[in-house]
Amino acid sequence: METLDKKGFDFRIDCKPDYGFLTVNIPSGKKLKVEAAAMASMDTNLEMKTKFRGGFSRFLGGESIFINEFTAQNGSADIQIAPACPGDVEHIYLENQTIYLQNTAFLASADSINVESKWQGFMKGFFSGESFFLIKCSGVGDLWFNSYGGIIPIDVEDGYVIDTGHIVAFTDGLTYEISRVGGYKSLFFSGEGLVCRFSGQGRVWIQTRKITPFLTWINPFRRVKSSN
Amino acid sequence: MEDQFTTVDSSKLNVVLRMQPGSSAAEIRLGPRQSFTAEGGAMIAMSPNVHMMTTTHKKNSGGVMKGLKRMLGGESFFLNHYSTGHEGGTVWIGAVHAGDMMVKELNGEGIIVQGGSYVASSPDIEVDMSWQGFKSLVSKESLFWLAIKGRGTVVVNSFGAIYPIQVNGEYIVDTGHIVAFEESLNFSLTKAGKSWINSFLGGEGLVCKFKGHGTVWVQSHNTTSFGSILGPKLKPRK
Repeated sequence: METLDKKGFDFRIDCKPDYGFLTVNIPSGKKLKVEAAAMASMDTNLEMKTKFRGGFSRFLGGESIFINEFTAQNGSADIQIAPACPGDVEHIYLENQTIYLQNTAFLASADSINVESKWQGFMKGFFSGESFFLIKCSGVGDLWFNSYGGIIPIDVEDGYVIDTGHIVAFTDGLTYEISRVGGYKSLFFSGEGLVCRFSGQGRVWIQTRKITPFLTWINPFRRVKSSN
Repeated sequence: MEDQFTTVDSSKLNVVLRMQPGSSAAEIRLGPRQSFTAEGGAMIAMSPNVHMMTTTHKKNSGGVMKGLKRMLGGESFFLNHYSTGHEGGTVWIGAVHAGDMMVKELNGEGIIVQGGSYVASSPDIEVDMSWQGFKSLVSKESLFWLAIKGRGTVVVNSFGAIYPIQVNGEYIVDTGHIVAFEESLNFSLTKAGKSWINSFLGGEGLVCKFKGHGTVWVQSHNTTSFGSILGPKLKPRK
């Protein structure tokens, strides 16, 4: 298998950016954390264990509360991992850094990465229109995350404005607040509603598509329930 | 990422298309005191120094009441105007569907664009929403059309891939597959088969017959067909 990153596990991402699909080679005796239900295929010497993670808060956040752990036994093993949405997959090797992922963006990580859900505050959660929770990943090791649409990294130096539904991930050095963009007329008619204003220095990963406009578009195609 | 702002001709936009063709997004780089217009709701991200203003139609026209009326009328087409001050900036524009984008430079000529395909345009481009050429067209999505004219840059998107067809004489395109076409073309709505029954049973219904010389930009997929597959599988709405 082609090696893209020497520091962590050997891996390959195919079919970027529309149908990103991850293959990881897990060395013998090592463990990989994978989002529940994301395993598509694997070698037979992988042992799977389901772990309850993030507790009740993550359950409330609508995020699946289970992360599966795959351990390679008696030799290395390949696993293919497919995200639920058609979209992109990105990789980062964390070196004692912390990265925040949007609620559904976690795909897989090394066992050494600490994965927990973080309450982003009632006001932020409510007005972002997304989830009340973010996934906090920290430690040393590989992390893979996924999106709906392509993923584009943006290096933030003196702030950036991002539509709440387009945020995939951001680094620890950034802080954000929810605010409106434009005047009050824009709040109702712009279609942008509220945005995240990032400040500080770091990196934000954005996705080129967003689920909610797709759902709005599909709505008129649903059948109308008869009244009787 | 190269960071050059071409401000020599501010009537044109510096557009870089990314993630083509399936997940395309437009990175629009503005020089100082430059502006452009984009479809409401399409902004992904922007530099903090870019200013955004919403209008219901063209710049400096249409008040809040007009906007409310449009909303009540079931229309939700609003335009956002982005502008920079003494510093430049970047605005990222996306789309609803999986598909491609195309940048078209206009030199005074006009094109007709399907409402959902419009992404953005430079300030000297006029976007007219009152075009009624396909008035009789009935569709679940109530397709509407924009007459776009002027000098500058227009960005459009598609569901699936975009392919241009040079019409020289006559050509037939399904109305759901039209992204845009040159105003110089004549068109008429007609049936695809020999009889109306054939046309509807064949699933084609109304098609557009273009005549003359000019380009039609066609999309490989049709949102109405996709919606018709997904819709019946979803829970009925009340």
